[in-house]
Amino acid sequence: MTDVADPPVDVRDVAEIDMSVPAEGAYLSVLRTAAAGLAARLNFTLDDIEDLRIAVDEACSILLAQAIAGSRLTCAFHMTEDSVTVRASVRATSPRIPSRDGFSWTVLTALTSRVEFDIRSPDLLLIELSHQRPVVGLA
Amino acid sequence: MKTSAEALVDATPSIPPERDLKPRRATKDYAEARARTKTAFAKLAQLEPEDPDWAEIREQLVRLHLPLVEHLARRFSNRGEPFDDLAQVGTIGLLKAVDRFEPERGVEFSTYATPTIVGEIKRHFRDRGWSIRVPRRLQEMRLELSTVTADLTHELSRSPTVSELAGRLQVDQDSVLEGLESANAYSTLSLDAPDTRDELGGTMAEALRFDDDAFGHIEDRESLKPLLAKLTPRDRKILLLRFFHGMTQSQIAAEIGMSQMHVSRLLSRTLATLRQELLSD
Repeated sequence: MTDVADPPVDVRDVAEIDMSVPAEGAYLSVLRTAAAGLAARLNFTLDDIEDLRIAVDEACSILLAQAIAGSRLTCAFHMTEDSVTVRASVRATSPRIPSRDGFSWTVLTALTSRVEFDIRSPDLLLIELSHQRPVVGLA
Repeated sequence: MKTSAEALVDATPSIPPERDLKPRRATKDYAEARARTKTAFAKLAQLEPEDPDWAEIREQLVRLHLPLVEHLARRFSNRGEPFDDLAQVGTIGLLKAVDRFEPERGVEFSTYATPTIVGEIKRHFRDRGWSIRVPRRLQEMRLELSTVTADLTHELSRSPTVSELAGRLQVDQDSVLEGLESANAYSTLSLDAPDTRDELGGTMAEALRFDDDAFGHIEDRESLKPLLAKLTPRDRKILLLRFFHGMTQSQIAAEIGMSQMHVSRLLSRTLATLRQELLSD
């Protein structure tokens, strides 16, 4: 939003971006925006960018619903030439993985190429989702 | 606003909106009001604005046409802004019309005033349609993006990338991203979101026929169904098409006749609503 042009960044050289925000809904927009910005720079289409934005919103909201009050939501973005992987986690008192047959999971699988939940330690709920850029251009 | 206007309708014959001109009741009143309008403008033309009578006649003209304002405001009242506010900004348009009207041109005042009043109401939507105050530069970018996205989607037979949009608009990619962000700040209150509660009747029935198949495997479908029922047909249809029929946002945009950005906003909003209610169980 500044008038000073940012130096061009080739995100493909930046393998990982780590972010940590308070585990509160108000900060989700920061993560959504980051996800959309990174996907755009990988030349994703608008459809894919917006899907990823919504997926990050959905995934992180699921985490926030279980997060211990006052804790943090950490979110790592990993980029390859044609994919973005988002790994987000929160501390939860008794983490529960949403059912694979539930609505949220249906939504997330429709929006991403891959989605996995995991409980890494007794109090750590993690979600990892990837969005692969489809092969385009031969329309 | 409304009540005072209603009182006036009872008290004086006034100009009914053109569309509502039914011969049975209105012809006489209408002719009378039209004559009064004509006389009033003729008087007004002879007076200087400093004259106390000038203000009074101007006031009369405004009162006489308040029902027209209300009629026009009502046409926009399903779009999320209070009717009273719309009638109020419409009245500003009416005042402008009274001040600019040139009777010698031979046009009926109500014909002349209608676009001015509608213009003022639309401007109100434009200004209020942003949940966060977004600079005009970005509002314009959003509009351009919307058009160019539709064009490119058509040309490429797929959704465009940010660099393609930037190339077409001859701006840098950051500007496109800013525009996309601001589109997300744009509230659903928008003139490109006509009230579609009735328009989707047929196709909705079609979409809903898939419901049971679509939700068959969903574990929480029983808690989901009443929530879906509360959505507007349009929001429900977008949700179904995206998540249960595997259509892309651009395809849905084309199907429903709105911009892809708008589909994205509506989807996000619908999911947030459902999530809130599903999680609160």
